[in-house]
Amino acid sequence: MRILLVEDDMPLALGLQQSLRHEGFVVNHVDNGNAAISALAVIDQDLVILDLGLPDIDGLEILKRTRDRKLDIPVIILTARDSLEDKIKGLDFGADDYLVKPFEISELLARLRVIERRLGTAESALIICSQVVIDTTAHKIFIEEDELKASKKEYMVLKALMENAGRIQSREQIESRLYEWGEEVASNAVEVHIHNLRKKLPDHFIKTVRGVGYTVNKT
Amino acid sequence: MSIRRYLVLILLSIITLVTFLAAIQGYKASMSQANDLFDEQLQIIGKTLLATSATYNKSALESSASNATVIPSDHIAYQLFNNETLLLRTNNAPQMLLTDLPSGFTDLNFLGQRWRVFIETTKEQLPQKRVLVAQPLEQRFSLAQDVILSAVTPIILVIPVIALFIFMAIRQALKPLTVLRRELSGKKINDLSKLSSVTSTKELQPVIHTLNLLFERLSSAFTRERHFASDAAHELRTPLSVLKINVHNLQMTQSKKLDNDGQVSLMQLGQSVDRMAHVVDQILTLNRTNPDQLIMAVTQLELQALLQQVISDLYPEIMKHQHEISLESQVSTIYANEFALLTLVKNLIGNACKYTPNGGKILVKTQVNEQSFTLIVEDSGPGIKQSEYDRVFDRFYRVGGDSHQSTVVGCGLGLAIVQHIVKLHQGKITLAKSTQLNGLKVLVTFPQKAQYSNMKLNQREQKQEDNT
Repeated sequence: MRILLVEDDMPLALGLQQSLRHEGFVVNHVDNGNAAISALAVIDQDLVILDLGLPDIDGLEILKRTRDRKLDIPVIILTARDSLEDKIKGLDFGADDYLVKPFEISELLARLRVIERRLGTAESALIICSQVVIDTTAHKIFIEEDELKASKKEYMVLKALMENAGRIQSREQIESRLYEWGEEVASNAVEVHIHNLRKKLPDHFIKTVRGVGYTVNKT
Repeated sequence: MSIRRYLVLILLSIITLVTFLAAIQGYKASMSQANDLFDEQLQIIGKTLLATSATYNKSALESSASNATVIPSDHIAYQLFNNETLLLRTNNAPQMLLTDLPSGFTDLNFLGQRWRVFIETTKEQLPQKRVLVAQPLEQRFSLAQDVILSAVTPIILVIPVIALFIFMAIRQALKPLTVLRRELSGKKINDLSKLSSVTSTKELQPVIHTLNLLFERLSSAFTRERHFASDAAHELRTPLSVLKINVHNLQMTQSKKLDNDGQVSLMQLGQSVDRMAHVVDQILTLNRTNPDQLIMAVTQLELQALLQQVISDLYPEIMKHQHEISLESQVSTIYANEFALLTLVKNLIGNACKYTPNGGKILVKTQVNEQSFTLIVEDSGPGIKQSEYDRVFDRFYRVGGDSHQSTVVGCGLGLAIVQHIVKLHQGKITLAKSTQLNGLKVLVTFPQKAQYSNMKLNQREQKQEDNT
């Protein structure tokens, strides 16, 4: 995946490039807004990591111009501004994600992977959590090489959980994934699917966080 | 005491006092003049009686004393004697000689009254004639009083009218001050805009001018401070990110080449960077939630969703400690500032997570009723000694002093921030021992008022000093 990194702070840009390249991404770096706009116009990019505090043009302005030109390229905002208004503004302008400095590299990488899978540009279409593997191209679930038979909806629920491994997915979040399929979702649908999945999956693979939601461990 | 009330009272007191003193003085002077006038009347009557006494001589000499002429009279009484013989008297005067006193004025009692008596005696010619003219003192007084009172009464009656005019005049004169007072007391604590009162009052112009200058300086100082905080945030966050990324890169690419000591150093470096990032973040939050310099918009929030969000955000940290966390709440709407409430919940759950030994339990509960909502965070950790309950809210204070668990990343600002936020929402925070989990139990209660919506925090109702 080709990433356009728009960041004016050189040490940060160098460090980021190193981390991203190590993870197998191709990184183009520009250090000001004008360069970013011309790069977006000419060079084919898959994703933009955008710092808001640029010397010439504000990052939000770049985002706005990009969206005005009907470019739906995913944008992850990287900023030192952590006020809620800034965040809401950024997401309103069409950013796909918003990370506040100082951020965890692993967090950035996890979000990049989610977008990568969405775009279908991932080298590996596999999501792996301990012995459970999801092949997102074949829409299949495996437990140590053995295929696990699951309904489409159960597959969606497990994919939502495993894509966000290590994080909690609330019942509402999982429900919204099922809605994307354009079908009516019964009020206890998520509970039913989880119940069915648990019977097929290893013990304690899906954990319940009482009052909050469900989660799957990364490893 | 208000200036207006003071002026009205003092002016009225002075006017009343002076008016009464003048009235008393006038009464006294009029009384003495009336006395002189009445005395003169008595004298004239006496002299006239003497001058006309010759008329009565004959008949009186011929007849006995009891044949004296009696004249009816209500007020003035007199006796006319010719060598001890009563010639003439009024019906209200006795037959006997009243007094032996020589000529002149005197006060006497007879017939149950006190009288003013004028005595005149002819000395040069015989037979000696003697006249006594008397007037009741009481009558004199009542006559004089009637006259004087009718002169003084209007002056006293006019005092309320004067009072009314004075009140109106003072009110008018103090109007610019009242306007200024209203504007100042209506001003919000954080409203540092210029005063809009324009006054032509010479005395108030410098006051308003100076106040406006002060507001301006204060406002720019606050702006500078806020900018400093956000500038500092930016300036510190970017290099912190660089540190983090480089530590990450070292761990990814170089750690295999390092020996044991090198790996420990690298791990220490990573932990210290995290700790520094945490401290910077907390200091900025503390600054940002400082009740002295902040107005935060209150919005309608879904409490349960907010708690779920915070627990989700903190979940990687909770998993690291293998804690079991549960949330007991129902869907409820509350009015609060989102950033502040998020920070509060994050700090409380974060603390429970940090200070509870691995594999512990954390319970988050809410209790909502019409007046208030209460957030309860309990843990199975070691808790805090009761003697330290107050101190943990101090900035940079950490439980156990220098011997606190040094493995725990923290800076002693978390609860200070929580307290800021609680104060902002006019809430209450209580620490206790958890009966359910045996650790610390933190209760935060916020008053829940429907009219809080669309209101700004920190615009507390000001006490109206409207006692004018």
